[in-house]
Amino acid sequence: MGEYLLEVQDLKTYFKVKAGKVRAVDGVSFAIKPGEKLGVVGESGCGKSVTALSIMRLLPQPPAEMAGGSVLFDDQDLLDVPESTMRKIRGGKIGMIFQDPMTCLNPTMTVGKQIGEALRIHLKVSKDEAQKRAISLLEQVGIPAAAERINSYPHQFSGGMRQRVMIAIALACNPKLLIADEPTTALDVTVQAQILELINGVCSDFGTAVMIITHDLGVVAGMTDRVVVMYAGKVMETAPTDELFANPRHPYTLGLLSSVPRLDEVRHSQLRTIEGAPPDLLKPPPGCPFMPRCAFARAICRTMPPLEALPGNSAHFKACWVDVTDPQEQAYAEKRRQTRIEKVLAATNAQLASTQPVSEEK
Amino acid sequence: MGRYIIRRLLQAIPLLFLVTIFMFTLIHLIPGGADQVIFNPHLSAAGRAALRARFGLDQPVPIQYLKWLGNALTGNFSFSFGTNQPVGDILKQRFPATLQLFVPALALALVIAVLLGVISALRHGTATDYTLTTLAYIGICMPIFLLGLFAQEIFGVWLHWFPTSGTSNYATNIDPVSAFVDHIQHLILPMLVLAISFVGGWSRYMRSSMIDVVKQDYIRTGRAKGVSTSALMVRHALRNAVIPLITIVALDFGAVAGGATITEGIFAWPGLGLLFFQSLAIRDYPVLMAELLLGAVFVIAFNLIADILYAVMDPRIRYS
Amino acid sequence: MDISEQLGSATTQDEVEPFLELAPELVQKRRSQGRIIWDRFIRNRAAVVGAAALLVLVLFCFVGPYIWTLNPDSLNALSATSTLANPTLAHPLGTDDVGRDTLARAMYGGRVSLLVGFISMLMAIVFGIGIGSFAGYYGGAVDNILMRFTDIVLAVPLYLLLFVLSAAFVDGTPKSVIFLIAILTWTYAARLVRGEFLALKEREFVMASRTIGAGNFRLMFRHILPNAAGPIIVNATLLIGTNIILESVLSYFGFGIQPPTSSWGSMIATGESFFDVDPFLVFVPGLLIFFTVLSFNLVGDGLRDALDPQMTER
Repeated sequence: MGEYLLEVQDLKTYFKVKAGKVRAVDGVSFAIKPGEKLGVVGESGCGKSVTALSIMRLLPQPPAEMAGGSVLFDDQDLLDVPESTMRKIRGGKIGMIFQDPMTCLNPTMTVGKQIGEALRIHLKVSKDEAQKRAISLLEQVGIPAAAERINSYPHQFSGGMRQRVMIAIALACNPKLLIADEPTTALDVTVQAQILELINGVCSDFGTAVMIITHDLGVVAGMTDRVVVMYAGKVMETAPTDELFANPRHPYTLGLLSSVPRLDEVRHSQLRTIEGAPPDLLKPPPGCPFMPRCAFARAICRTMPPLEALPGNSAHFKACWVDVTDPQEQAYAEKRRQTRIEKVLAATNAQLASTQPVSEEK
Repeated sequence: MGRYIIRRLLQAIPLLFLVTIFMFTLIHLIPGGADQVIFNPHLSAAGRAALRARFGLDQPVPIQYLKWLGNALTGNFSFSFGTNQPVGDILKQRFPATLQLFVPALALALVIAVLLGVISALRHGTATDYTLTTLAYIGICMPIFLLGLFAQEIFGVWLHWFPTSGTSNYATNIDPVSAFVDHIQHLILPMLVLAISFVGGWSRYMRSSMIDVVKQDYIRTGRAKGVSTSALMVRHALRNAVIPLITIVALDFGAVAGGATITEGIFAWPGLGLLFFQSLAIRDYPVLMAELLLGAVFVIAFNLIADILYAVMDPRIRYS
Repeated sequence: MDISEQLGSATTQDEVEPFLELAPELVQKRRSQGRIIWDRFIRNRAAVVGAAALLVLVLFCFVGPYIWTLNPDSLNALSATSTLANPTLAHPLGTDDVGRDTLARAMYGGRVSLLVGFISMLMAIVFGIGIGSFAGYYGGAVDNILMRFTDIVLAVPLYLLLFVLSAAFVDGTPKSVIFLIAILTWTYAARLVRGEFLALKEREFVMASRTIGAGNFRLMFRHILPNAAGPIIVNATLLIGTNIILESVLSYFGFGIQPPTSSWGSMIATGESFFDVDPFLVFVPGLLIFFTVLSFNLVGDGLRDALDPQMTER
């Protein structure tokens, strides 16, 4: 097994659509150590959910296609094992929770039965034993009056409570890894913190590794040991959390971090954005997918850079040809930005001039 | 829940009253009242007048209605114009035959509809789906009397597998087992025709319900838990998908008093439907009113049952 | 880390194209809503087949007689060989027991069946919209009364009511049958429209129109009704099929269309007794009914899928 619990190597997942193949995940590699908490960050559509679903093999194969790579877990390549083995792993060794707790539970089954189902499938306990364990699990995830609530139906719980039930189901059989796909996105802000704390606490207590997928950098900062930054189906950068926030090395990460408004910023300063839009995954441009939006881009970026460790720092990887800490590179980038601003200004003025019939007399 | 039922029952009573007024008015609008149809044409005018008075047909219609209502409330549905039997007895005699036809037909239709619907949904878009859908459309788009006609011709006349009408071929004095078998043989064709007429629509409904349910997030949660596909489909998907269908089935069952009318007409099956045709032809008002009332009672009752069933099966309705 | 502060004049040789101009704006031509619905409908092969079949059937019944000019009522009973005849060139579908040409009868009978189905549907829908819209929009006592009324009609099993009403009112002409069927089937349309109105009247666009002073009628018919049009159209299409079946049932049992007019249903009634000798007499009108109703169902289902705003692209 080595030192890693889960090793994703060059994972590729494509979707067959009428117009061709959408390369949702195009060569993603990362690893999780036992008990480690990994954050996977990226904007909508970057392939982070698809990565998680690919690991769990929850994607229906006709539209989806596992086009390459391997997922090593427990000495097995999950992409190769038969479905029966995969079924034992799902819920038993790897648990997963999803984004929308309102729709993720069967409305006609009691909460106790849904938790119990996981226990009975994997741990082969009796109905009564499953009931008892379900009650204790509900207590552990912080649901009051667990013994009564065990017979309640999902619609009788609030969103936050339902997510707690989902966590209970996912952790019922003490899996080695919990995958959480945007677990707090659909919840109220006040509840978000509670859920994250819960995941953090329970997983630390049981030594469960966590892979938390989110677009929210705040979530990642508070909870994770390592971060993987994804963009357009590829990994851009990965590093220990503190290191990433203190010392980002990929232009995309730079953009992400600087777009978060800070309390200590000068007031009334403009919010910074990353201009442009993500590429069309049907026909991705060759090379680095971020190139069209990257101020640091060079001709060499038309070849995809490999994900390599920084010199002198074996824990921090980036997929970029450019060293963004180099003052020369920064100047180059800044110059390109200024040129663009001038161009845009000129174009706007030209348009205004052509639509105004009479120029103002000053 | 109990309060809800009581409220619905209380609402049903005035509805039933209004329905009886509606129906009474209707059947008295049928041209050629009983006196013109049933009475012996050779009767003298005085004789006719006497008979009319005896049957209460000389009174204005609203009075007739009140008389009928008064009797009905005490359970007295008067006597048939045609046979002079107490109407209550006639209904009691005919009702079992209709039940024999209706209940097995619907039970069979339900089982087949669920099976076909689920298979169609799971094999969504494949050749199996198209074949089953085509079969379903035959059930929906073919008028039931045509189905009956074809069934009679093919299985009765050409293949000689089943008899085409009535309930028995033999007179009395046959041993019970043979009589029973013979009865069943007569039952099969009309029952199948009736079942087919329901299966078409129900299986399509089941199919779309199942397709919707399988797309739901909680099915994916189940899969992520490690539940096997078959358990997932039965314990989770089917459990939810069948709920709307059961409500429809309950509602369709409410038509029991009239739903087999056409089938009984074609196969000469002596149930309430055939009785209805016969009574209509001779303008036998007491029988007609009693049958219509019975029909309405069943419709209203099963409407209520359908709602109750829905609440029983879907906890979201029960606990809100 | 504050890069913007740093100004430099350094340029390098391998400058790439001006950045951000590489990503073209995806300008998707916006199709009109009608176009979207049409496209979705066309992609549904079954629906297109149904629509084509309907076109053929309508042409057959309404234009056919101008091409196949035999008189459906002319009796050829004089010659013994021309009654209950098998298909010949002169009579491609044979003749019936009094020598009338089956093909011509099918066309004329089809006119009656189709017209009865269509017009009764129109009446039922109009009436249903009238009742349903008021009930759904005003709610409260109005809703209660109107729905009680609907419930009374619905409480009687359909076929019992059908036959009683037909015995009371129908005199064998298409007009009376149209009225009869319309009276029985408006209830389903009314329920549907009521449901749509109940849901739609709470929507913001209604409130917005009200705030600029739109009156009730205007709201109901210029704002809410067009938004409910989708399900109503689907229901209407399927209703034609149902009504054609109802008419055929009535006519088959002698309660509907009667001579001198004939419809497909009455043709089956007369042809039934000769089924063993000349099955065409039953098969021709029977299969015509089946394919007509099937086509209406396919088109109706196709419309339902095309109009459903939540249908994902397949």
